[in-house]
Amino acid sequence: MKPVSGPPVSALLASTAPAGSADPAMPARPSTALAPPDAQAPLAVAPARGAWSLSLPENASAHGDRIDALLASSHRFELALAAVMLGWLLVAVVRFRGARKVAPDGGTRRSRAWVLGLALGVFGVVDGSLFLGSESYLRDVLWNFRVPTEDPRTVRIEINAHQWSWEARYAGQDGTFGTKDDVVTWNDLRVPAGVPVWVQLVSTDVVHGFALPAFRVKLDAIPGRVNQTWFQAAREGAWEVACYQHCGTSHYRMRGVLTALSPEAYAAWLREAGRQAVQAYDADDTAAHWGWAWRTP
Amino acid sequence: MKPGALLKSLWTTDPQRVARQYLWGGFLFLLVGGLLAMLIRFQWAWPGQPVPGLAWALPESKGALTPPTYTAVFTMHGLLMIFFAVTPLLFGALGHLVLPLAIGTPRMAFPRLSALGFWAYAVGGALMLASFCVRLGAASAGWTAYPPLSTPAFTPGLGQTLVTVAVLCVGVSAFLYGLNFVVTVVRCRAPGMTWGRLPLTVWGLFYGAVLNVLFVPVLAAATGLLLLDRVAGTQFFIAGAAAVGGGGDPLVYQHLFWLFGHPEVYILILPAWGMVGDFVAFFSRKPAHGYRLTAGAMGAVTALSGAVYAHHLFTSGMAPVLGRTFMVLTLLISLPAQVMFLNWLMTLWKGSVRLTSPMIAALATMIVFGLGGITGLALGAVATDVPLHGTLWVVGHFHLTMGAASFLAVFAGLYFWFPRMYGRSLHEGLAKAHVLSSAVLFIAVFGGQLVAGYAGQLRRLYDPYQYTFLAHLLPLNRWTTFAAFLLGAAQLLFVVNLVRTLGWGRAAEPNPWKVGTLEWTNAGASPVVLRGPHELSQPEVQQQLGRDWIGQAEPLPVAVPVKVADAPEPSGVEGAG
Ligand SMILES: [Cu+2]
Repeated sequence: MKPVSGPPVSALLASTAPAGSADPAMPARPSTALAPPDAQAPLAVAPARGAWSLSLPENASAHGDRIDALLASSHRFELALAAVMLGWLLVAVVRFRGARKVAPDGGTRRSRAWVLGLALGVFGVVDGSLFLGSESYLRDVLWNFRVPTEDPRTVRIEINAHQWSWEARYAGQDGTFGTKDDVVTWNDLRVPAGVPVWVQLVSTDVVHGFALPAFRVKLDAIPGRVNQTWFQAAREGAWEVACYQHCGTSHYRMRGVLTALSPEAYAAWLREAGRQAVQAYDADDTAAHWGWAWRTP
Repeated sequence: MKPGALLKSLWTTDPQRVARQYLWGGFLFLLVGGLLAMLIRFQWAWPGQPVPGLAWALPESKGALTPPTYTAVFTMHGLLMIFFAVTPLLFGALGHLVLPLAIGTPRMAFPRLSALGFWAYAVGGALMLASFCVRLGAASAGWTAYPPLSTPAFTPGLGQTLVTVAVLCVGVSAFLYGLNFVVTVVRCRAPGMTWGRLPLTVWGLFYGAVLNVLFVPVLAAATGLLLLDRVAGTQFFIAGAAAVGGGGDPLVYQHLFWLFGHPEVYILILPAWGMVGDFVAFFSRKPAHGYRLTAGAMGAVTALSGAVYAHHLFTSGMAPVLGRTFMVLTLLISLPAQVMFLNWLMTLWKGSVRLTSPMIAALATMIVFGLGGITGLALGAVATDVPLHGTLWVVGHFHLTMGAASFLAVFAGLYFWFPRMYGRSLHEGLAKAHVLSSAVLFIAVFGGQLVAGYAGQLRRLYDPYQYTFLAHLLPLNRWTTFAAFLLGAAQLLFVVNLVRTLGWGRAAEPNPWKVGTLEWTNAGASPVVLRGPHELSQPEVQQQLGRDWIGQAEPLPVAVPVKVADAPEPSGVEGAG
């Protein structure tokens, strides 16, 4: 994302958002910096997309283009069906308004067969292709956990949703959760680009919705259960993490930032953060020790 | 009047008077819910700015919505509109008015249940209004009230408890009129009123009533258990997370809630579909195309309605096998909906279209329902649902189907049956201006929401522009807000019309729309039904009666069949005002 001079909205944002929102360089921060980005302050960069067109958030995911293409085809169906419906209705009303000759029956066997056939045909084409497209994406990506399990580079993250922030835990250098070098961040997700990221998601309090709009990822965080998802960043950059499930008064501020770094920068950051975590480790701080066994599907 | 007499007149078992009680109750809550919608729109156009004229209600913030107020506002908006405005208007008001008359019975199967149902609704409504005035404010956990957020650990106020009881009350009311309608249609039809001769409106009300009987108890189970969690310290829906430490499962609530919540969509839309089917036939002066197919399609939707509910839970981490099953079932429901829709279009085709106010409202219902249905396609398939889930796309979609479509259907029905209800006709010009402007503005408002949602704007955000990727949507949201304000203002057309008609309106003709259904042709008598509801433009009727319609129970004066060869060309328009 490149810095764009602020639209009129930025003036308004300044009045409702805490200070520190004017930092266009945030995505380019040194990767070793441990201070989390101020997740309460919006990134100052507004995406250069039309507000009036049907355009999705920028796609930063390696697999997002498949969903985008499916959505685009569903829009073509929607447009075609809307055009037929409106056109038919309009022509009928204009052409037959107050017409003098009217069929006294509720259709013939043939006209009713046409209705059934037309409905079946539209159903087959529209719903059929949506089903097949959806199904293949589900099989290849969304529900296919073989990819992160079998890829040796896969990074695992445990995310704990709170009212109102995202707490993320990384296994650290030893690759094992629940040890002294576990790295914990708040509203600050860091992942390597081009590598599968496997997430296990829980909630401490209420139901939250973990969403990466730029990655077409969305999953509920529900107390009492561990949910899983995975994604892969297509390139380096910074994008927002949003909560889409109403979770109380400050739900709208449950905002995080996900930064995709180069694998080297990510490794350097994790090494340094793990070192600091070991130094700051406090065995008596029970609230800091959470986690669970990873289950592989 | 003595208080005893007043009470007696309030406790009425006459379906016509119950209908009027529901009508005024529904209008009251439509007004409150609509004003709350205006507040939500104001907040998205000018986040955190003082709302003009609201300083008396929110003195601490000088009239600006704060995050807690805002959460209460959208929660109450949803609950009031669904449970206290649109459903009672469709079933309580139009249902009680039309259903007994149209099947030829002077009274419901259980007259006292009608009265009891209205008073359960009235008590629920009073509790809803009371919740605005209690400490810690009204309910704020969203209309879905997902636990654990809706449990006292996270929403401690009395308001949430009052609202939970209010939903239980309105559930009792919905169950009672549902049961009453089902039994009335099954048992109290006039002689000759076979299932194949029911007006489509009655079919819609009947199917909707069946869904009420089946699924409102599920809502009662969910809210009842939630109420126990709130007041009795049980933990049905509180899981063992760190902050709550219970032993239940919040996901069970979500399943129960949507097992009711999805059929509720059809509870709202089935009567609307029925009215569209009837009005399109009446005002095309032509029998409904494929009557049996349409009634069957509505039945198929009813049968499937409970089996698709879990598409609301596609992102809850459900097992892939369940996700696939509910995706297939959800897509399947679009087939009967299409059959029904095509039948409406076929009825219009080669009809003799009269653009009366009920017809314009019915066509507008068709259009907004069609647009709403089409935008639901992408939500039925799991892969495309995930990016759109929880965004304003969903909000725009369901506001078109169950908000705009059922609202316009309520007004289609009201403009149609008002002469039957109050003996006076509403002004046609004002009525047409009202439904036309409402329809156009509905599409503008909910179209704006669809666009914003597609760009990723999440629902229920106090200040969406906290997110950088949504910041550019402010102008769009502001224009949508202007359209919403205009939509609110357009309702004055109806208010003026209503006041004018009730105050100075002229008496209506006994059958102003020239149709043959029993509520227009058999006031009071015990009819014997001879034919279906859409016998319009029949050649022998035109020849013998000189008009293009005949009552469902009206015998043809000469029962001699007309020889087809000698029959004169039917003129088609006589007698059709
Ligand atoms: Cu949240």
